[in-house]
Amino acid sequence: MHKLMSNRITIFWLVAPGFLLFLFMVCFPIIMSGYYGTTNWTGIGAYEFVGVDNYTKILFHDGVFWRSLLNALLLLAATLLIQHPLALLFAIFVTHAGKFEKWFRAIFFIPAVISIVVTSKMWVSVFHPNFGMLNKLLEGVGLGTWKQDWLGDPQIAIWCVIVVVMWQGFGYALLLYYAGLQGIPKDLFEAAELDGAGRVNLYTRVIIPLLSPMVRVAVVIAVTACLKQMETVFLMTNGGPANTTQFIGNYLYKTAFSSSLYGYGNAISVVFVIICLIITLAMNKAFKKEVGEF
Amino acid sequence: MGAITAQTNQQTAGSKKKKDAASPALKTVLHLILWGVALLQIFPLIWLINYSFLKSGDFFGSGILKWPKSFEWNNYVNAFTYGSVPRFLLNSLFITTVTILVAAFLALMLSYAFTRMEWKLRGPAMAFIMLGMIVPIHATLLPNFILFDKLNLIDNPLSLILPYIAFSLPISLLIISGFLETIPRSIEESAVMDGCSVFGVIFRIIMPITKPAIATVCIMNFISWWNEFIMANTFLTSETFKTLPFSIMKFTGQYSSNYGAQFAVMTIIALPTVIIYLLFTEQMSRGITAGAVKG
Repeated sequence: MHKLMSNRITIFWLVAPGFLLFLFMVCFPIIMSGYYGTTNWTGIGAYEFVGVDNYTKILFHDGVFWRSLLNALLLLAATLLIQHPLALLFAIFVTHAGKFEKWFRAIFFIPAVISIVVTSKMWVSVFHPNFGMLNKLLEGVGLGTWKQDWLGDPQIAIWCVIVVVMWQGFGYALLLYYAGLQGIPKDLFEAAELDGAGRVNLYTRVIIPLLSPMVRVAVVIAVTACLKQMETVFLMTNGGPANTTQFIGNYLYKTAFSSSLYGYGNAISVVFVIICLIITLAMNKAFKKEVGEF
Repeated sequence: MGAITAQTNQQTAGSKKKKDAASPALKTVLHLILWGVALLQIFPLIWLINYSFLKSGDFFGSGILKWPKSFEWNNYVNAFTYGSVPRFLLNSLFITTVTILVAAFLALMLSYAFTRMEWKLRGPAMAFIMLGMIVPIHATLLPNFILFDKLNLIDNPLSLILPYIAFSLPISLLIISGFLETIPRSIEESAVMDGCSVFGVIFRIIMPITKPAIATVCIMNFISWWNEFIMANTFLTSETFKTLPFSIMKFTGQYSSNYGAQFAVMTIIALPTVIIYLLFTEQMSRGITAGAVKG
């Protein structure tokens, strides 16, 4: 048995196809980006090496890059302070929904499985200044003065994008907390009830603390998802007006394909990967220290 | 949103007083809140379907939902004719099917090597592939564009299938190997005693047992790649291989005034994933939570 299980040729044939494809499609491109990131290539014709110029420019002189990071941070703050508490609350509600429990869980998740192309187009028409549902609705309830060019206003557009992203991700967060709640032994609920703990006390003192491993997981996922946000922005505003809704993924795309700064775009890609790696690994390390069991 | 939070506060205040779980008033309030938010979540879908049956002239009124005077099936006919829906639908089906089958196959082999085979580098190798979950796909768009250009793969389905498979591997590997850990080895041992090779064990014994995990992986990958847009937008240039999401784009230029057909196209794009999700809700939920907790 041991001999068969440590046969190098078998191991090679099991691992090689997937591993090589992964290297070729995920790691190799990043190395290529590192190479092109040190050039001033426009995408066609000859190019020169500019050393680390692109990287220093990104880190020290590129306002749009930092704005993109700031937007990711804003999105993260909104996700953690608004979406997650609501998702947790509704996960608790769903567990008390009786025979509709499964229905609610499914309905809340539906936006997450619909193509972003569809949801973005849809929200763009909701926010449309003339025909949009939102402005019509405001007028209908007598708040006509609140009407806006929602996606055209540099102050407001980012919040519209944030609302859409939160709406689409709500079911995902809810599902995570719901799964966490399912993992808590039923007798704990009964024991707390026997001890005379009220419903609110039961949740705030017993259940939510027990959920903390799941909360950590959800936070890590939220951080990476906010950093990686691109498609919604690409389809709704393409970073505009005036880069106020820019996110890194969209910014590097625009830099390379619209502004023809291919080398610079690649440098942003490399910085992007490094930021994602550092943040995720740091969070995993920090959170791994204290994982409680029950 | 404000109304909901206000209601929520009421609800928590109410539950303080009443400890009894079966209080009917409390239950009613709870259900009202849940239905309210549930409606908010699927309202867009209802709205899409509703508008996909309207005549273009009916769009600019004051109402939000409108019962169509006559169901405008013509919108769907237009979607199919002008939106290239049949062709794009077939492209999407082909690309996602190949992707999920190959990804599941490769992930199963990798998982077996990582959980059962004995070799020195298996820990680091697995951790390395897991890093793929952190790498944003957007960071590979620019270099892959050049890479595919050099390999003459731009505007070729392979330019999507290859990265799709590669980016499916980490999560698929995680789910399948997590499942494999729970299967006792005794069955495999007896098969090996009977003279079965490792590949025989994987495809004749392990594959049937891991079916639930493989199904989960396939459904999750189906939904993410069916909806994938940005790579398709970058690597495909001609009409020949474009995927379903692009049929909307057809209506933003030339036929931009045909709102009814636009909504019909959006409905056609949205429905397959929603249906698949509703059919396999359990598998999806299991996959997502398993992936999240272990990753």
